Amino acid sequence: MSTTRDYERDPYAREHDLYPAEPDLYPADYESGVYPDDGLGKWGDEEEPAADHQPRRRWSKSVDAWMEGRIKFGGTGVKRKTAALILLGAWGFLPLFFMLPSLFTFNTNTIGNSVDDTLGTGAMVNLFMCLLITPAVTLTGQRWFVPLRRWYGIMFACCGIGDALGAAFFDDFAGNPFAKLVEHTFTLIGFLMVLLAIPLFITSNNWAQRKLGRYWKRLQRLTYVIWGLLFFHLATLEGFGFQRGSNGSGFAGDGDAIFHQRLYQYCACSLFLLTIRLPPVKRWIVARQQEGRNRLVFMAVMPIFALFLFGFIFIINELIFKGTHSFVENPSSE
Amino acid sequence: MNESYAERGYARGGYARGGQRSTKAERSTRAGGVILAAVALLSSFLVLWGLYYATGTGERHKVALAAAGCEPNLLSVNVGCTTVWMLERQWTQLTTSDLQQLNADVADYTVNARRNLAKAESALTAEVTTAKAFDRSLAQFPFPPVVAPPAKTLIQAIQARIKLMGEQARSSSLTQLRSFNDRVNASGAAIQADMTLVHKALYTRPTVNQEP
Repeated sequence: MSTTRDYERDPYAREHDLYPAEPDLYPADYESGVYPDDGLGKWGDEEEPAADHQPRRRWSKSVDAWMEGRIKFGGTGVKRKTAALILLGAWGFLPLFFMLPSLFTFNTNTIGNSVDDTLGTGAMVNLFMCLLITPAVTLTGQRWFVPLRRWYGIMFACCGIGDALGAAFFDDFAGNPFAKLVEHTFTLIGFLMVLLAIPLFITSNNWAQRKLGRYWKRLQRLTYVIWGLLFFHLATLEGFGFQRGSNGSGFAGDGDAIFHQRLYQYCACSLFLLTIRLPPVKRWIVARQQEGRNRLVFMAVMPIFALFLFGFIFIINELIFKGTHSFVENPSSE
Repeated sequence: MNESYAERGYARGGYARGGQRSTKAERSTRAGGVILAAVALLSSFLVLWGLYYATGTGERHKVALAAAGCEPNLLSVNVGCTTVWMLERQWTQLTTSDLQQLNADVADYTVNARRNLAKAESALTAEVTTAKAFDRSLAQFPFPPVVAPPAKTLIQAIQARIKLMGEQARSSSLTQLRSFNDRVNASGAAIQADMTLVHKALYTRPTVNQEP
């Protein structure tokens, strides 16, 4: 255990939960989240892992330790964790990958028609993946996948910025690029989200983390503002209703208009991400896990996670559908 | 939980200092359970409702396709569906140029049929070539199931006319050439009638029951 001075000097270590959240108040052998009040005052705290009882902690630590092992790969070896992170993180790049052919060929028709769908949906996917890490840590106690949070955050920012650039320069709206971004309520909110994402993107490195110190974490909490703004962005874009006949939001061609309504998808996903973050809920989960009642936690969380999956699958469906059209440079008119 | 704190020597510290704070924490934890239970119930309901809603997908899909004027069996992943209007446009593009060319060839034949055998035969050969191209285009046209039978009749009628005109083009005299005129005109009238049927069928919006 390092000293308080180390902790203040090394925000990176703090971010990775190497030190206690409040080093002055807790004893030297403090284990994060063990105390009942750990969740208090940590609304939206992305850094604190779930506390747990010893058997569960042992199991989680053993998975983390196993991930540190190496896989033999040709003459050399690669860490299991690295391989898993690459495999899981590669999907974050998918939205940008879909747009690459049209960028290389500068196909303005494809960029204009589908950049907002492909990169906008991609940004949403990456934001949710980024926000999913903390609940996953809370529920599993494992931490080997925590670096993915930063990666998905970066990919979210890239997709969001790309979406805004595409909308500004290639959309059909009237006016100059700036006017295109602010003339509709939904574009204005989207633009605001991108503006907020830019400082997060710029400071998403260890150097900025060290320089900003404790302010870095506060700055990163802008992610929650972006998350909230996404609701208004989708509400103004899609409305609250869904498609009936040939009118309304959400493509009804396959008969699943409700599932294709992006605001509903957002709500279905956000319910899980938000609920697991609520301090009393976090404490309840920790308390039940300490009692060894993991099955109860599983039963309670499963329906909420199922709803998350329900929404998320249709977002992924949208991304792949629109993305493949963008990739073959034949943008979907939907 | 407090016991373990005491055992670990933390009883003098913040959390175990008084019962008041730990009771507050317990109450908060209980509230967490209530919140989680409520959200889990709501989620269960929504998931079950979603699954129930998904069972009606097929029927809604048909209604949506009919509402959008999608031609049955012409659904494409690429464009979603081929609508009646899209098909009409394709049909108009196909027929306009070929029919114009055929009309020009027929006019050319009519002018030469009474005075110049070589020119008349040349006009007939051109008409046959155009008719064959038209026939090939029709064979490739994505006719929906309802339109397929009249379209097949139309293609057969065109092929019969092509055969007849081929024989006509081999005539050795103007008299022999003109002797085919009645049969060729009759086949032309049959084609015209078939074209009208195809056109009518194409321009009719599909009903919900016709959608796949």
